[in-house]
Amino acid sequence: MEHASSFAPANNWFLLGLILGLPLYGAFFNGVFGKRFGRGAVRFVGVGTIFVSFLASIYTFMELHKLHHHAEAAAKQAHGASPAELVIPTTKLSWLAWHWMDMAKFGTTDRLPIEVKFSVDQLSGVMLLVVTGVGFLIHLYASSYMAKDPSYHRFFAYLNLFIFSMLTLVLADNLPVLFVGWEGVGACSYLLIGFWFDKTENAAAGRKAFIANRIGDVGMIAGMLIVGYYVGALDWDGINQNSERLLNAERITIIQRAAGPITISMATAACLCFFIGCTGKSAQIPLYVWLPDAMAGPTPVSALIHAATMVTSGVYLICRLNHVFAMSPFAMAVVAVTGAATALFAATIGLVQNDLKKVLAYSTVSQLGFMFLGVGVGAFGMGFFHVFTHAFFKACLFLGAGSVIHAMHARIHDDVKSQDMRFMGGLKKYMPWTFYSMAAATLAISGFPLTAGFFSKDGILFKAFTNRVLHPVAATAQTVLNRPECKDLTLTHCKQASIDYAQHWHAPEWFGPLLFVVGIIAATCTAFYMFRLLFKTFWGEFRGWSVDPAAAIAPDPFKNLEPLEEGVTEYAAGHEAHDGHEHAHTDPHDLIDGDRHDDHHDHHDEDLTVPAAPPHEAPWQMAVPVAILGAFAIFAGWLYAEPFHFEPMGHWLHGVFQTVVGHEVIQVANAAKLEWPLMGPGVLAFAVGAGLAYVWYVRDEERVPKQLVASWPRLHRAAYNKWYVDEIYEATVIGGADALADGAALMDVWIVDGILAKLSALIVSGLGALLRSFQTGVVHVYSGVLAVGTLGLFVFFVRPHPEATVMKEGDTYTLEAAAGTGYEYKWEVEGGEADKDFVTGDQATKRTVQVPLDATRKITLEVKNAFGRTAKQTFTLTNPKPAPVPSMSVQGMPGRPPPRPPAGH
Amino acid sequence: MIPIPAFLVLAAILFTIGTVGFLVRRNVLVALMSIELMLNAINLTFVAFNRAYPNEHTGQTTSFFVIAIAAAEAAVGLAIVLSFFRLRKTVRSDSADLLKN
Repeated sequence: MEHASSFAPANNWFLLGLILGLPLYGAFFNGVFGKRFGRGAVRFVGVGTIFVSFLASIYTFMELHKLHHHAEAAAKQAHGASPAELVIPTTKLSWLAWHWMDMAKFGTTDRLPIEVKFSVDQLSGVMLLVVTGVGFLIHLYASSYMAKDPSYHRFFAYLNLFIFSMLTLVLADNLPVLFVGWEGVGACSYLLIGFWFDKTENAAAGRKAFIANRIGDVGMIAGMLIVGYYVGALDWDGINQNSERLLNAERITIIQRAAGPITISMATAACLCFFIGCTGKSAQIPLYVWLPDAMAGPTPVSALIHAATMVTSGVYLICRLNHVFAMSPFAMAVVAVTGAATALFAATIGLVQNDLKKVLAYSTVSQLGFMFLGVGVGAFGMGFFHVFTHAFFKACLFLGAGSVIHAMHARIHDDVKSQDMRFMGGLKKYMPWTFYSMAAATLAISGFPLTAGFFSKDGILFKAFTNRVLHPVAATAQTVLNRPECKDLTLTHCKQASIDYAQHWHAPEWFGPLLFVVGIIAATCTAFYMFRLLFKTFWGEFRGWSVDPAAAIAPDPFKNLEPLEEGVTEYAAGHEAHDGHEHAHTDPHDLIDGDRHDDHHDHHDEDLTVPAAPPHEAPWQMAVPVAILGAFAIFAGWLYAEPFHFEPMGHWLHGVFQTVVGHEVIQVANAAKLEWPLMGPGVLAFAVGAGLAYVWYVRDEERVPKQLVASWPRLHRAAYNKWYVDEIYEATVIGGADALADGAALMDVWIVDGILAKLSALIVSGLGALLRSFQTGVVHVYSGVLAVGTLGLFVFFVRPHPEATVMKEGDTYTLEAAAGTGYEYKWEVEGGEADKDFVTGDQATKRTVQVPLDATRKITLEVKNAFGRTAKQTFTLTNPKPAPVPSMSVQGMPGRPPPRPPAGH
Repeated sequence: MIPIPAFLVLAAILFTIGTVGFLVRRNVLVALMSIELMLNAINLTFVAFNRAYPNEHTGQTTSFFVIAIAAAEAAVGLAIVLSFFRLRKTVRSDSADLLKN
């Protein structure tokens, strides 16, 4: 294929090295020299490297676009006019850094090369732009947000390292390199959650994230091994081309039943393993618990890592491996169900949280659930598009929240209180930029028509309703059954196809509608809690401190919470129940105002009733990125406006998913007709959620929520405490691990230290004591023993020893007498020949006898030694029937085991 | 000519006396003398067999080696006995128990 660019060939696009290398350099510089060179240099290098990386990404993307355009035109020319059948070749710019290692292909002498190779295609191209683009905006934001932090250089070192790791993940051309990035982002996430590690909760939150991710990584590694073993390739092209091999491999038995075992294919096993990895990284049930706690990190980190990029890598992985996932409708159904369940579950928790960032965190978990719902029903393009739009609106929301917290910190220095929405309110007039940006993002995430979130979320829900995922064999059978002649099932191949179709599992008919309904409920919750957040933060009167001397508020709003909010008592109860370990509260706190940690406690005494300046708008470095992201949140949806059949993004991604979508993933017959009607519930979800939030929180001034809390205090408390999932995990998984550790400790004390160490020492010392008693030190005893031993040897040598080894070969038995000094031999076979006299020489030591099957013969050996003494021994040879195991009994052979028959007998 | 078995019987008697003397006497000097007695009993058998099978005089040659080794052994042994006596003022072998415990 001819490439239009003169810059570099497509298979050696070394610009990827620059895109990757600059953030790595930034991390190195800031980490090693940052402190010496000062904040200006750190800002310049930290933000500048990402900006150049972003520019290089744009250039790469444009080249890729050009290349793709050419390939598409060529394909169209070659195929003529039949766009439905058109197969567009995937285009790719790749760069081989170096050859990493060879893996032995199991069971063969072939080598499976593993190369450090990076490539960018349609899918990773979009991710590349999101990571560097949103990453750059967040770096810019952080340069101001973190300005007063004493560890400014460390923060940017971590942040740049994260961008490097994320780019490694996105640009990797094979699974092992992706895994390097996968682990790298996990490590950076850990470092940044625990960035303010001098607070125990922050460090604990970092650990929690790390451990939850490790649990997922086990699945990731297992999936990688299964794919490597059965597919025989780990790079994307190899996996895509050979993914059917997973179906031809042996099946795994899950349950043995009388009616035949329940088995799963290797494809299902691999997909489920990968999905375990995804639940860890992308915060899905059951491993989502770390993400809300991850809000302990600085807010830009929450925006970049825990909303926009890293947590979406699970979705990216499934899109990347869509050929593998298409092999297993069951695994796809598991992904979809988990996604839908997570979307709804996290949304219910988000409804009642008061912490600004906590609401956003649960919202993120919920939105990730939507993405998995999308890819799980085979809407890979739409699911991935939601990754794209979510990156904008969620980053915008988090950064806006960061601006609000920043403003609150002007006078409220406590981490928890500065993020508590009950102390906010009325910020609309003080922070207009932030307000309009966040309002745009809120509209987008809630699904206001024609915003980004509307197109992506409704696309996912529409696909959930109409898509069907079939097993590849069933899908092929389905195409046969759809042929006109197969109305009559008596035809042989039609009959075979219907059998094939029935043999493979696929989700029942009610599955899609059920997912749709769950998604709509979750979307309603989303709209409600997002507008609740918006109204409580920006509407009404400011509740943080006295701005106007005339305004009458409670003398100390922090000690007298009752008038403020619905969940006051629950709030306190929740805190006691969690004892601080759950609410990993966060935040830029004192550092933002340039105060030191040491005088932290003094701030509690600040009298907030004393009027002071109102909360301030964020500086431009913070306000501008938020505004840009807010604009994208509104308009980015037009890249994939499916209802209007304007889908540049869908068209762009088509090549990646084309072999799967349309074959394994099919749409129900009347899907096109359902497109607009199914939008109705989506818009209704927005209207109901947002309207309810308006009525309850703006018009009625929270009368209804308070009543609801009063009516169902236990329900509210359970939701507020995240349905006690952390407590359940504490009791089961963590408790189990603790019990296991205690058991192991007991084992160590009693078995290892007690029995193994002490008992063996006792045995050794006892044996030593016994042996010591023999060592008398009296020469006469030694010499006496010596004399007795010599006498024994003497006796042994004077006595003759008639011993022989028996060898069997068929019916022929050969006896070979043991040699001795001056020995002479005399053989006597029972009922056969017998030596007349003792003979010597080589032949004399051997005698061969024929023993028929199932018969017994006796042979006597007489030996005369140099002293003239004789002794004899009789050997009884029995030739057994060749029944089970050929063996023989040889009697009268003291001290020797019977010899084995020769091999091969 | 005295028959060979007569030499062998004498040698056996001498060897037995030497063995028993070595085993029962505690005096180190006597023990050394018993060792000499055993060595010489062996020498006697070598020489006697040499007489019976005189082809290569192996027996006589070996007995010379044995005499030489016995002389060396006696020299070393007596030196040890002398040091031992200086140390312990006795030549009883029971007293040579410095290494015990």
